[in-house]
Amino acid sequence: MKIGFVSPYAWDVPGGVQAHIKDLALHYRKQGHEVSVLAPASDESLIEDDFVVTAGRPVAIPYNGAVARVLFGPLAASRVRQWIAGGDFDVLHLHEPAIPSLSLLACSIAEGPLVGTFHAAAPRQKVAFAIAPLLEPVIEKLRARIAVSEVARETLRIHLDTDAVVIPNGIDVDFFANAEANPNWKRPLTMGFIGRFSEPRKGLGVLLKALPNIARVFPDFRLIIAGPGEGLEAMQSINPSLRNRLEFLGRINDSEKAAFLKSLDVYIAPNTGGESFGIILAEAMASGVPIVASDIPAFRYLLDDGKYGELFENENSDELARKIIEFLKSEEKRQRFSQAGSDRAKRFDWKEVSDEIMNVYLHARSENEKVTLVSESRSWNRLFSREDD
Amino acid sequence: MNTYLWLPILLLLTIWYLTFSANRLDRLHHRAETSWANLDAILQRRAALALDIAHTGAVDPATGLLLTAAAHQAREADIADRSEAESGLTQALLILVKETDLTARFPELFQELESLTERLRIAISLHVEAVNAARARRKKLIYRIFRLAGHAPLPVKYAFEDDSLMEITR
Repeated sequence: MKIGFVSPYAWDVPGGVQAHIKDLALHYRKQGHEVSVLAPASDESLIEDDFVVTAGRPVAIPYNGAVARVLFGPLAASRVRQWIAGGDFDVLHLHEPAIPSLSLLACSIAEGPLVGTFHAAAPRQKVAFAIAPLLEPVIEKLRARIAVSEVARETLRIHLDTDAVVIPNGIDVDFFANAEANPNWKRPLTMGFIGRFSEPRKGLGVLLKALPNIARVFPDFRLIIAGPGEGLEAMQSINPSLRNRLEFLGRINDSEKAAFLKSLDVYIAPNTGGESFGIILAEAMASGVPIVASDIPAFRYLLDDGKYGELFENENSDELARKIIEFLKSEEKRQRFSQAGSDRAKRFDWKEVSDEIMNVYLHARSENEKVTLVSESRSWNRLFSREDD
Repeated sequence: MNTYLWLPILLLLTIWYLTFSANRLDRLHHRAETSWANLDAILQRRAALALDIAHTGAVDPATGLLLTAAAHQAREADIADRSEAESGLTQALLILVKETDLTARFPELFQELESLTERLRIAISLHVEAVNAARARRKKLIYRIFRLAGHAPLPVKYAFEDDSLMEITR
């Protein structure tokens, strides 16, 4: 099968959606399918993957509380048109097609077996009612919609009044399960946190407030924080006597991340919201590290209401401290959650997830059908799309 | 500007909008047809599998008879009665899974049933979504006034009990 993927975000910038597309594309290629990815790129010379076609430099726009680097406009549209016309695709898989992006362009330009995956979770927004009528004629062309979580599915239902099949994000379970711990990090009473900690919604502040309580019971605890950001700034808010308990690693790559997770006694996810799936928790479960996480909807769903990891009330530092102390005290409890998490993680393995997505592809097309340009078959559109350009 | 220039522009815009709307509906109909074709294919395979199970001697005669009857009904039902007949087959398969030791004795048959059921669940949800979208669009005033649906038949709603379907895989 020949599969085309469209990424809304720049390929040379790290991100969850890009990582998802890359893993999926590589997985299908290994199975013998032909894949091609169309993506924006800030610097084309940095793109190493030979299956990626670049569509131009992205622009930064504020979207959903963060800055998204996306690409659209007439030049991008003509690139998309070229790519689709020359691609001869059996299926076109568009990621995040409901934001102004390459995916939305591709969705409006193409027709046939189109599949869309919705990643983001957003609270109900007034603006949605203004943009829904514009998006509706485009989004309704998707033969199948996939949401990566129940939260993303609910977002789609509220904003665009359409349902989706839930297929979770994938991870390489063996990669995390078989990683070796790093002796520099692996010491008793070590907690870990990964994320862009300067963003308040990642909840590092909630965790830092819990530290004095933990220090009262376990004066020797350690907290290692990985992720891009300025460590010194975060240090300002901490009691000076606790500062030497903290270590900042900066950005880490995938192998370092796997080793890091393996080295921990407990992984803390204090996110206060805005999370759609929480892939780091799936990775932590695959590594076998027990988890303490806030009870936001995405985490509650991923951990099945506390069956596969301990939940604490969102933004409640006292309860977080209590739960962490319970974990650090009880080897037996850590073992139990580690085992439960490892079992749960298998559900998110690419082997299973990619089969499910392939299944949706098969449902989206009738026999021998190909993705085509809209303008090829619609004379009126051809007349007007010239003017639109 | 004078009225004589506005009039053709307005007319052109109206025609464009009507064509655009008709195209939209056409695509929605096509989507519903595709999803139905896929759903139908899986339902046919399920009925064939049910007959296979009934005829391989894997089950007792009573269950075999129940399965055969349900599978034939599902195969022969016309589109309006289809969902009811297929639900009947689901119930029969549910009895098969719950009351007999098929799972233990014929794991490969059961596995095939399980994977078919999983695919069926997705096919149903895609089809229901496509039909709802097409029907909702056809109800809009402009489509009724200008008869933009043409002679295309109204897509049939398919009411399949999703819950009992899920129990088969459990």
